[in-house]
Amino acid sequence: MNVIDHNEFYVKLAEILDVDEIQPESILKDFDEWDSLAVLSVLAMADSKYGVTIRADEIRTVNTAADLAQLVAAKKN
Amino acid sequence: MKCTFRNKRISAILSVVPAEEQRFDEECVNYGLTEGKAQKLKKMMGLDRHRIAPPGVCSSDLCLHGLRKLLADGVLKKEDIGALLFISQTPDYRLPPTSNVLQGKLGLSHEVVCMDINQGCAGFLVGLMEAFLLLDILTLPKVVLLNGDTCSKQLDKRNRVSYPLVGDAGSVTVVERTATENPIFMSLKMDGSRYQALLVPGGGYRMPSSPETLASHEAEPGVVRNLEQVHMDGAAIFNFTLEDVPPQIEEILSFSGNTRDSIDVFTLHQPNEFIVKQLAAKMRIPNEKIASNIVGTYGNCSSVSIPLDLAHNYGERLERGVARVCLSGFGVGLTWGAMVMDLGPLAVCRTVSYQPE
Repeated sequence: MNVIDHNEFYVKLAEILDVDEIQPESILKDFDEWDSLAVLSVLAMADSKYGVTIRADEIRTVNTAADLAQLVAAKKN
Repeated sequence: MKCTFRNKRISAILSVVPAEEQRFDEECVNYGLTEGKAQKLKKMMGLDRHRIAPPGVCSSDLCLHGLRKLLADGVLKKEDIGALLFISQTPDYRLPPTSNVLQGKLGLSHEVVCMDINQGCAGFLVGLMEAFLLLDILTLPKVVLLNGDTCSKQLDKRNRVSYPLVGDAGSVTVVERTATENPIFMSLKMDGSRYQALLVPGGGYRMPSSPETLASHEAEPGVVRNLEQVHMDGAAIFNFTLEDVPPQIEEILSFSGNTRDSIDVFTLHQPNEFIVKQLAAKMRIPNEKIASNIVGTYGNCSSVSIPLDLAHNYGERLERGVARVCLSGFGVGLTWGAMVMDLGPLAVCRTVSYQPE
């Protein structure tokens, strides 16, 4: 079961990465804007929007946008 | 722990910053960032200017300047001082305590208790706690709390994660007994299991100073440092702040019988604007009750960021009247503390610059 709205998540992630849109299969490291500030923004978004805490080492294990959405959803669950 | 102090008050707060101001736009060249990324960092973290102590100027010099000014201006008399507390991570020497050195420089009586406490961003709260406790046993009526840090000296200019944010500052807070009850509510929490999130690994006795501890290297892209400089796990600290600070502030509001509405001013430690804004949003603190401009004006000044916020944003108001304030400091240790009190009117609540002679 999807406990988060994945489309909404991708819209927010696209804002953080400063791109128009993002695909689930997009690889995060390929984005020029995927840096430590983006990671902080993701941690902040996970906390404020979904009420979950993600650790930086968990983010480092993530490859695609879908993986990241899954990480947040799993925590939310 | 939670506790209530009674019949104590803060009567004056004077902050001291080095006169030398540096600008992010001019230092950018050290960080190896593209223009776009530099501007993004600046905007997100709220960077603009910060104060950096020149070589040879220590935390204690900033504090001493402020203390001498209060004595010269008649705000404080030497013979009323029962204790000198110095809260810092950047003391003059490994030994003796810097507070003893300051007592000697000021020619204070041998009856004055001198004590150093190693604390950072929660150090204003820990220092106040110690000051309030000392007032219960001292004969003399006042304790001088000195908070000072020159953390720029623990960083490489090419550390783009920490150097753009850092600020050097000192403050002098006069704490005294008062006939009115004036309850001051405090919560203090510690978690030493996370001590590594903010750490200077080398140069102590666990890893003594050596050519290896002093060798600079690029630990990760854009982070040049040596083992005697600050190692910060930024994401861990960020999560700590978002997870542990809001419940403590809720706790102190409830413990003190207050709500967001009954508090006039929330003064939080300001590591960067992003964190302060995240905390304010999470706790639904209205913008007009919380400031986040200290980092962009002076830098992250460790335990002095709370006194700086009080002076910079509410100085005149606190010299004229009373405000119900909620203070919150969080950082190294890990340590997090919060206090609620009625503050003011203060004899002095302002900031001065220090220019070495």
